Amino acid sequence: MSSQEVSRQDTDERQEPLSGTPRRPAQAGPPAVPALAIEPPAAVPATAAVPPAQAGPPATALLPAAAGPATAARPAPAAGPPPLSAAARPGVAAQAGQAAAAAFAAFTGRPMARYQAAVVRIGFALVVLVQLLREWPGSRELYGDRSPWSLDMARRLAQQTHAFSVLEWQDGCWWFEACYALTVLAAVLMLLGWRTRFSSVAFLVGVLSVQNRGVLVGDGGDNLVHLMAIYLAFTRCAEVWSLDARRRDRGAAPGVGGVLLWGVAAGLLGWAQLTGRISWASAGGWSGPGWAALFWTLWAVAGLWWVVNRRWPAGEGRAVLDALGSMVHHCALFMVGAQVVLVYATAGLYKVQGPRWQDGTALYYPLHLDYFTPWPGLSALLGSSALLVFAFSYGTVLLQVAFPFTLVNRRLKNVLLAVMVLEHLGIAVLLGLPVFSLAMIAADAVFLPTGLLLWLDRRAGEWRPGRRPRPA
Amino acid sequence: MAERGEVPEPESEPEPEPEPGPGRGAGGESGPGAGPRVWSLPALVVLSAAAMALLSATAVLLGALLLTNAPPNSLSQRYQSQLNGLVYPEFEQNWRLFAPDPLQDNINVRVRARSAAGDGGWVDLTAQDIAAIRGNPFPSHAEQNELRRAWDFYDTTHDDREMPTAGVRSSLADEYLKRIALQRLGRTSGGAPITGVELRADTVPVAPPPWTAAPRPAAAGPQSRELPWWSVSDQDYAGL
Repeated sequence: MSSQEVSRQDTDERQEPLSGTPRRPAQAGPPAVPALAIEPPAAVPATAAVPPAQAGPPATALLPAAAGPATAARPAPAAGPPPLSAAARPGVAAQAGQAAAAAFAAFTGRPMARYQAAVVRIGFALVVLVQLLREWPGSRELYGDRSPWSLDMARRLAQQTHAFSVLEWQDGCWWFEACYALTVLAAVLMLLGWRTRFSSVAFLVGVLSVQNRGVLVGDGGDNLVHLMAIYLAFTRCAEVWSLDARRRDRGAAPGVGGVLLWGVAAGLLGWAQLTGRISWASAGGWSGPGWAALFWTLWAVAGLWWVVNRRWPAGEGRAVLDALGSMVHHCALFMVGAQVVLVYATAGLYKVQGPRWQDGTALYYPLHLDYFTPWPGLSALLGSSALLVFAFSYGTVLLQVAFPFTLVNRRLKNVLLAVMVLEHLGIAVLLGLPVFSLAMIAADAVFLPTGLLLWLDRRAGEWRPGRRPRPA
Repeated sequence: MAERGEVPEPESEPEPEPEPGPGRGAGGESGPGAGPRVWSLPALVVLSAAAMALLSATAVLLGALLLTNAPPNSLSQRYQSQLNGLVYPEFEQNWRLFAPDPLQDNINVRVRARSAAGDGGWVDLTAQDIAAIRGNPFPSHAEQNELRRAWDFYDTTHDDREMPTAGVRSSLADEYLKRIALQRLGRTSGGAPITGVELRADTVPVAPPPWTAAPRPAAAGPQSRELPWWSVSDQDYAGL
């Protein structure tokens, strides 16, 4: 994720003056480059032999003088920091050019933060699945034909808001039940990462449809799920930990599943288009392309990729398509992270202005609201301690305000992340908001450290005997 | 757990990339082995154009979300219609969770029915919700949000004298609240079909914690708000 990148660069830059290692200016270039920069000075001559031409700065000019033995390179640290500032003079344009090239290569290269994307996918699929299953018995009262928010009312509001919901396309209990069941199915497929290019769009359609049908029964968690369902459809969130990845790793033949789904999608889209359910231009205040444009574009790109991959698997066309996919993935995943930052920054900065948060009693009130106290005894117990109420009130605000800024320091970010997850678990029980909390945790997961996810990946590999060996 | 991930991260990051050529993916595209892909000119043009378009779109969306979450400001007021067009309905943001201050009132919504048998007694609808939530580790949206948010919706679309302030939304709010009440009351009251309902909301402020003398801005006593009688017809029961 971007934050990972940011924080990684941050640590690199700090290490650079320390080690005095002249480093290729490929700032945007992810992991391996930092690894080089962290290398002990002994490795310096070796690395310096390759890139000094590009690196340009005087630091490299110093190195040949200190040339020979590895120990001779050690004085370099002392001389390290000044060259950094002096570096501004000669090769600025060249450096900027190289940085831009490296950034472009990273942007168009292999999808970054694949594990984080997979965790977010699994997390939100789970949230939706749990929520839909929980509400299934009363789903007709909440989102269906028995709802006090009748279909007619939903349509009247939708004429104003232009919110998208396939549930409003058709009257009848059967239509609702079918759509609800298909949304559950989409959540399962998304969880497993099965044909994710298809199922992520089905997930988006299902989630938006259900939520926009019952827009007045949702809460903050639903709002987050809604947004993430949109962003996730544009990420490559099944690169790991998915059935898609397993199929690819086994080198299985593409099979007819994908083609079949593509055909089904064409049929559904064609039907929706011909009956006027979706249109090319947006109907709302937004005078851009409508849902038809989005869906047909995704459909056409999937078809194009299939043809190109079949005909010219090693051709440049295929590489261009992959690069486009990576770029979209990077932008969408950036939005996931940005959205989380926005949530915390907004929640935190508005709290700062509240008198109850300022006097440190804010937490006391939700603990005495009937709607948010499933365990009144527990809430009263926590609410009886002035110290605890104060600490949690101030702690919450501090945490939320600070979180966006800690992204520049990976270590601090990880600590805050762990605290945040714990706080959400507490909220889940104490305020009776399990889905909301699970959604927040799933969103936070985009900032999980790669090392932890890789460790989990290896552990999972050890447990499953039939699994292909992973490089340790 | 964050600690665990801390140590191995820098070194182990490039390792799980065995599929492509060495260096590719690990060292970005500038790794030593495969090096960055050398694109043909047409490919480069396509990719550059796509990159520009994508980055611009992302920046615009991010900017719009930022402005939407920010307090009303000169920029967001100037571009209000464009912002609304982009953000609503699908990118709606509402993150003032318990902010600037948490809710400090318990609102109880009650209803009574009128029928040929006379006016029925008050039925505490909120108490039904609370009863379902108590001791429930996984309450339903039907209990937590339906009535609570329906009242909120009514409150924000009507003024102090119960006059509509938001056109269609006000009438939708009336209808919604009425139908929630009817769903819970059923068809009859005192043995006769219901012909009208009256709702009231009692707001009980949570008393400040005993260890503070925090002065409450509003009058600290409970406040009651009684809505006018609404007539009920068969149509109001459609689908319930």
